[in-house]
Amino acid sequence: MTQLTQSMTEEPSNNVRTAAMRYVFEANGLCKDFDEGRVRALRGVNFRIAQGEFLAIMGPSGCGKTTLLQLLGALDLPTSGSLLYRGVSLPALPDPALYRAREIGMVFQAFHLLPTFTAVENVQLPMFEIERSASQRLKHAINLLKSVGLEHRLNHFPGMLSGGERQRVAIARSLANNPSVLLADEPTGNLDSENAHHILDLIIRLKRERQMTLVLVTHDPSIALLASRTIRMIDGQIAADPPAPQSH
Amino acid sequence: MTFFTIIYRGLQRRPVRTGLTLVGIAIGIAAVVALVGISRGFEQSWASGMKARGTDIVVSNMGSALAPKPFRAAVRDAIAVIPQVAATCAIFVDLTGIEDSSMMVVSAREWGGFSWQNLKLVAGRMPKDALEPALVLGQNAAEALKKKTGDSIQLESTELTVVGIVDGGALVENGSVILSLPLYQKLSGNEDKINIIDVRAVPGLSSDELKQLCARINHQIPEARAMPAGEHVGNSEAYRFIRAMSWGTSLLAVIVGVLGVMNTMLMTVFERKQEICILLAIGWKRQRIIRLILWESALLGLLGGIGGVTIGFAGVKVLETLPAIHGLLEPDLSPRLMVIAVTIAVIVGVISGLYPAWRSSRLNPSQAMQG
Repeated sequence: MTQLTQSMTEEPSNNVRTAAMRYVFEANGLCKDFDEGRVRALRGVNFRIAQGEFLAIMGPSGCGKTTLLQLLGALDLPTSGSLLYRGVSLPALPDPALYRAREIGMVFQAFHLLPTFTAVENVQLPMFEIERSASQRLKHAINLLKSVGLEHRLNHFPGMLSGGERQRVAIARSLANNPSVLLADEPTGNLDSENAHHILDLIIRLKRERQMTLVLVTHDPSIALLASRTIRMIDGQIAADPPAPQSH
Repeated sequence: MTFFTIIYRGLQRRPVRTGLTLVGIAIGIAAVVALVGISRGFEQSWASGMKARGTDIVVSNMGSALAPKPFRAAVRDAIAVIPQVAATCAIFVDLTGIEDSSMMVVSAREWGGFSWQNLKLVAGRMPKDALEPALVLGQNAAEALKKKTGDSIQLESTELTVVGIVDGGALVENGSVILSLPLYQKLSGNEDKINIIDVRAVPGLSSDELKQLCARINHQIPEARAMPAGEHVGNSEAYRFIRAMSWGTSLLAVIVGVLGVMNTMLMTVFERKQEICILLAIGWKRQRIIRLILWESALLGLLGGIGGVTIGFAGVKVLETLPAIHGLLEPDLSPRLMVIAVTIAVIVGVISGLYPAWRSSRLNPSQAMQG
């Protein structure tokens, strides 16, 4: 259990502690409605994601993949059901921002870099919520950009980078606070096949090196094949979910 | 990169809009500096004029006009016999247009009174007696009227000769047309009328004792009100009106500034909606987003305030050189007023940023995944 979740729980029961050790995420009857219930994005979803797992979530547009990722990242609250992170209820988190800053790294399809900041500055942005000096932030950001092969693009603005390079910067940013979980929403969706291949290799390499749990939303069956497990979703429900391994 | 780099970049995004907002705040703050500086300067000029004349207490009836109301000259005799009063000088002050100058201070002083003693001759001589058809001009008044010794000035339809130019040691004194009281009373038909009595107290009176003396005079003399020198202008209805007008106009300018900054910051929040959502998604707390917006608007206020103080200062200096008021204006452009003006600008910035900051903090981080 991480420092964050320890600080969030008081005297966890043995059952919770055991579950927390086994599973990073555990969802039961998870529902999410929009537009005052007129749109039902998730309808009673149940799943478990083990520590270190590479889980792919597949399904057609509008099936609820991105909504599910948003709930895992505590970007939104479920309408009903339970969603646990290492045994702690995500909707009940007193400080979801702290969870997002320390536990989660997010990679978006559209990169979402801030255009008025250089590559090295973009990577530093998540570090403002962590106790680090300006020089430590800079040093760490440079190291991260080196790890994604962009040491020669440190001071380039996003507009001066190719799509593949932008996604590398976004990946470096997602790793800024050494998260234990990486959530990736169609990370290769805006890239050509060659860049998509490189980006995927990079994500998988970093996942392995950092022993992170990776949850990746994709349309592409060839990408899903690289995952250790694939959940298929249709109409807000899980159509197929092989059992989660107990540990990785 | 520090948090302030992020704040600065936020303002750099739209340089034209930021620049126009800064100009808006700067104009508002310039108005504050100019109007308040001039009105405070006016009050201080009178106070320093009184100090130069060695006056401790001024007895006058400052009504709603700029010049005090006339009262019986015999009042002076009633004050002169009070034990703590060392000397008195009866005066008739008027504000009137003379030749090309739209407003001049005419100061008619009791012949032989102590209020003549501070006048140092720069050129010419003093009037020979109380009824000589002559006057002296303060240095600035001479410059404004373009007069020298030997020239004549028409006052109350009578030609009077300028016999001397004097340095009175204060702006009000140097901007005055000075003549003897009996002569002016005769010319203006205000015989046996005065509207100010300068009172010099016996040496060594404390400020509390001066106030007690004022209270005693006020008790004895119902026609006029005694006040420590310098306070009488500030307490006059006319001056209070001027002060209220200057602050009121400044307030309007500041409100325009508030609306300008608020509009800019709201536009910023709307434009950067997705950026803010991304920052929330990558772990920024809502409080940090609020701080970001408030700091940006405060920085706008600070920069606008500095610009406004500069424009206001320069504007007043230019105003002082205009022929119509040259030498008659002594604005209070003290560092204190500058600090107050910049502080107002920063407060304006922060207040203007409150609503946009609140709006930004309500954004949902899940919107980062849209688009």
